[in-house]
Parts: sequence; C-alpha cells; structure tokens
Amino acid sequence: MGSASKLEQEGEQMVDLIFTVISLIVIVPLALFLGVIYSYLLRKLSARFQWRVGPMLRMYGDLKPLLGTTRLLQPLYDILKLYGKETIVPDVSRRRLFVYSPYLSLFFAVAAIFFIPFPGMPLLSGVPYSLIIASYLLIASILFTILGPVASGSPWAAIGARREVELFLVSELGFVLSLFAVAIARQSLVIWEISSGGQSLYLALLTVTAGALMFVAMLGKLHIKPFDMPEAEAEIVAGPYTEYSGKLLGTYYLTKVFLLYGLVALFISLFLPPIATDVLWLPLYIVAAVALVFLLTSVQVLNPRYRIRNAINWYLKVAIPLGVLNFIIALAIWLVV
Amino acid sequence: MGIMDKARIYSPWLYHLHCGGCNGCDIETLAALAPRFDVERFGIQLVPSPRHADILLTTGCVPKQFIPMVKRIYEQVPAPKVVVAVGSCACGGSLFYDDAPENYAILGHPDLLIPVDVYVPGCAPKPEAIINGVVQGILKLAEKRSKK
Amino acid sequence: MSTEIKILKQVLSKYSKPMTLTYPSGVAPDRRYSQIPEGLRGIPERDKDKCIGCRACYFVCSGRATSIYDKGEKRTVEIFLFRCTFCAHCQEACPEEAIKMTNKFEIAVPNREDPAARVLTELDLLKCKNCGTPYVTRKLVDRTYERLMEKIDPIVKETVSNDYKKLDGYCPDCRRAYGVDLDTHTKKYVWLEGV
Repeated sequence: MGSASKLEQEGEQMVDLIFTVISLIVIVPLALFLGVIYSYLLRKLSARFQWRVGPMLRMYGDLKPLLGTTRLLQPLYDILKLYGKETIVPDVSRRRLFVYSPYLSLFFAVAAIFFIPFPGMPLLSGVPYSLIIASYLLIASILFTILGPVASGSPWAAIGARREVELFLVSELGFVLSLFAVAIARQSLVIWEISSGGQSLYLALLTVTAGALMFVAMLGKLHIKPFDMPEAEAEIVAGPYTEYSGKLLGTYYLTKVFLLYGLVALFISLFLPPIATDVLWLPLYIVAAVALVFLLTSVQVLNPRYRIRNAINWYLKVAIPLGVLNFIIALAIWLVV
Repeated sequence: MGIMDKARIYSPWLYHLHCGGCNGCDIETLAALAPRFDVERFGIQLVPSPRHADILLTTGCVPKQFIPMVKRIYEQVPAPKVVVAVGSCACGGSLFYDDAPENYAILGHPDLLIPVDVYVPGCAPKPEAIINGVVQGILKLAEKRSKK
Repeated sequence: MSTEIKILKQVLSKYSKPMTLTYPSGVAPDRRYSQIPEGLRGIPERDKDKCIGCRACYFVCSGRATSIYDKGEKRTVEIFLFRCTFCAHCQEACPEEAIKMTNKFEIAVPNREDPAARVLTELDLLKCKNCGTPYVTRKLVDRTYERLMEKIDPIVKETVSNDYKKLDGYCPDCRRAYGVDLDTHTKKYVWLEGV
C-alpha cells in the first residue's frame, strides 16, 4: 500500500516535471510572439495617436504581393532583417565583451521569463524566492545592455550608458520597493503564491499604489518617452546601441521584446491576481496586457523627453515617497489584517 | 523567396545623410517621414546611426571638406545597402556643378565617391517623389544579399 | 497633468481618421496626391515640332543642365534633369514656346544613362549647298526669315529679302566666300564712302 502511494507520488512528480519542461520550451516562442505583438501595439497605437497609420494591419490591395498582407509581426521582421545583415565590430572595442553582452542580456531576459507565470503555466514561479530571482535576472539583463556599449569605445555609447546607469539606479529603487511592498503584504517571496492569492479591499489599495510605482519603474526600464534619454535619438546618436549592427543589434532588439513581455507579465501576475494562474483567465490576461500597453503608449506619446537630472529628481520626489507610502501600507496590512 | 529576403523588403531602415547644399531637400525628406506621408506603414524607419541603416539617403552636393565623412559613413552601413540620392545636387551637382575650372570648395555629386543606386532628381523633389525613389531602392535592396 | 489630458482629448477626438495619404498616390477617386499647387514646376517637356534648335534655352539655363550639340546630321537639344533646378527660365526664354513645365514630379531613375533622366529632342540639320556640311536646322532659317520680315524697315525689306534668298542654304563659311554678291554686303558701303 505504502509503496504504491509512493510510486503514485513519484509518478505525479514525473508528470509535473515533464509538464514544467514542456511549458519552459513552449513559453519562449509564446513570449516572443506576445512581446512582438505588444511592441507592434506600442508602435501602432503611438502612430494612431499622431494621426498616422503606423505599420499596416491590412496592406493596400495592389501592394500585397510585394509588401505582404499584414505587418502585425513588424518588430519580428526588423529583428530577422538585422540577423541577415553584416555585423561590424569596431576596432577600438573590447571585442569579447562587446560581442558577448547582447547574448548574455538576451539569456538573462529569457531566464527571467521562466520565473514569471503565464495563465495555465506556472513555469518556475513556484520555486522558493522566485520573486527575488526574477528581479535579479531582469537587473542582470539590463546590466549587460550597459556593459556592451561601454566596451564599444564610442563616446555616444558611453554617454548613453552613463545615462542608463543613472536612470537605472533610481528606477530600480522604485521597482524593488513596489515588489517588496507586495511581498510583505502577501507574506511571500514566491511569485506563484502571490499571483494565486486572493483579493481584498486593502490589497486592492496596495495594487493601486504599488502598481502605479511599478508602472513608473517600467517606464524607466523600457525607455518609454519621458525616460528615454539613454537612447535619445538625434541627441546622442542612438545612445548605447550606436556602435551595434547586424546580429548583435538584432539580439538587443530581441532582448527588448522579451523584456517588454516579461515586465508586462510580472505586472499582471503581481498586481492583478489571480489572472496569471489559470487557463480560463487567458482572455482577461490578454485584455489586461493590452490595456497596460495602451497606458504605456499614451505616456509615451504625451510626454517630451526629460533631461537626466530632471528624471532623477522626479523619481526622488514622486516615485520614492510613493514607494515608502507603499511600504507603510504593506506593513499595516501585514500587522493589522 | 525566403523569409530573410522578405524581412529585408519589409523593414528597410533609413539613414539621412546631409552632405551640403541649401537644406531644401532635407525639409522635403523630413516631410516624407512625417504623418502626412507616413512611411512607417511599410516598415521604413529613420534611424539615428548609420550602423543600423539599410538605405543611405543622401542630399546635397559634397563640399571638399566633407569627402572623408561621406566615405566613412558609407562604409559604416552594414552590407546589403542601397544609396538613394535625393535632389538635383546629389544627382548631378546642379548649380554647384563646374566642369572646366574646377570649383575650389565643392566636389559635386556624391556619385563620384560612393556608388549610388537610385537617383531622385528635383529641386527640391516632392515628398511623393522621394517615397517613390525609396521604394525603388527597396526593390534593389531585395536583389542584394549580405556578404558573408 | 491637465495639459496632457487636454492633449489626449484632442488626439482622441480625431482618433478614427488618420491624415495619411494612400500609396501609391494618384488621381483616382480613392487615391490622391498631396496638394499640387497651381504652377508647380515639374519635369520640362519639349514640343519636337515647335523646337527650332536656336540655343536660347542653352544661354539662360542657370544650372547648366541644357546642352546642344551637333552630331552627324542631327542636332540634339538636351536637358539633363540631374542638373536641372526646374527654374523655368528656358520656358520664358523659348521664342517658339516649345518648352512647357509639366506638373509631373515622380522621377526616380536607377542610373545616369537612363533615358528618363534626359529631355531629348533630335532635329535634322540642313546641309550646305556648296560644301555639304550640316550646319543649321531648316526651321531656324525659316523662322529667322519670318521674324526678320515682320520687324524690318519697309525701305530695305526687298533688298534684304532678296539677299536672304540668294544665300539660303549656304553654311557660314561658304556665305563668307560668296558674301560679296550680296546687295547688303558691307564692302559696297565702304566703296560708296570712298567715292
């Protein structure tokens, strides 16, 4: 009897393991697809905000044979094209760091995605301390978007990387504060536990305040308009990516797509539980993601670019006090409720 | 046609190189990139660094001081690349063209330095004409393959 | 923040209709060009029947785009569009109104030798009766005669007309040789002065 139940247990574990492995394999193309769709939405919506058409959903009839029926996968075409191009490595760069950091950045972004649940796929989000692991991996991914450009030997890239570091320091603070406010209120450091937890009035309040802070931190991480000074076009050429071309640039664009997906998924799983747990919630998940992208876009199109000093001041004056407020609310929820 | 060739047609990125001249063509070029003619419909994007570009859009005639920069920027564009010369100055030197006594300051059209694939004459060409030229450039881009 | 909300409202009010024009633009009902102002100077067009090959356009061309050269029995009048500034000086200067600026502007050509990059007119040259060298177009001679007759003083009209017909069809070199026969030749006046 005992041995049978043990066997059963082992069998269940095996099934779980196989399911996890399969879902880990499935999530990468899925995340790529969703990330591409989100980036497409970001471009299309900002185009429509500016009274333009943007990448076309349905191409003009007579141009279809030449230019394709739809441009829904426009960001993917950009990346594919970059992979088909010549890659130039500057002589003055530190070659090894310059070449490997895009790939490492991509690796960490993909690794971070493994720790963020998707409806119907818990992935590795049930692992102890997965919240900390995920946030570290996201930081590592951004760290390598700074390291590579610094190694390229271009002054523009260096200025861009410096701005990125400064922005990263303040936006990361807001990011971590909002993550841990949620963790304290829910008394868990496991993303899966947080995202499958119930809702209450107090937690909803925290969702609003900490969610706002997380949103602001996302703006900094994704270089959405008021905080896009690291890659300020025309001001410092292309910022960190100035010297990158071909495959390496394509890898950075791929990383951006994965980061966009990862941050949106993390936002939904932390602040809108239990949407990111069951397959049945999938439509709502998509709606929430699109709404979030719409919000990001409207911030992008309605704001001019901050100077780096203004951005830091803004974060220190608005975002960090908001973070402290979050902490107090979270502590109150933990102690009182 | 493979997916790579398709991607090459679908997302041509443009780098705008102003060599010299009166800026008229630059104004028209920017108008071509603005909402009225919105080239992002076809995936065309203006990129800030020549290393990201597929299409090099040159305007104006080349002053002698600018010769090394033109060569260098052309070399910085990675392999399957197309050069579109916009405006009469970039096509044939226009008013700045001197054949008998050589001009002391101006070399002439960029064609003397770099291979140009599409010429768009006009002074200045209308945005529609520029888009027409860029589309011809894209078709040429599809024929070229990246050097390994 | 209130400004941003104001902008958002403004943007969303026109949200449903982007202002982008269709591509390729054209004159069909669902296609249109951006504003084409009246008198837009596009590619110049030359009427082959009207052109007399007089070089008036060549002398006024500001960008040195127009060139005229004789090759064999043909005279070629050419505007090289790569150097043309579309200033319409040639249109103003043309005595026969052969050059008209059209409002076509979509020209993009793949190379320098492309026929679309040039506005060419080939004219037949008249051969000299004496030595056989092609020297000028028939139409130029006729038009010069007509215009001369229109404006000339009636007193000398007949003399000049006779002279003109006498040496019609001779190239400049031959004309110099046979010029003594003319009633209007300067030598005659010199001789009269001597008397």
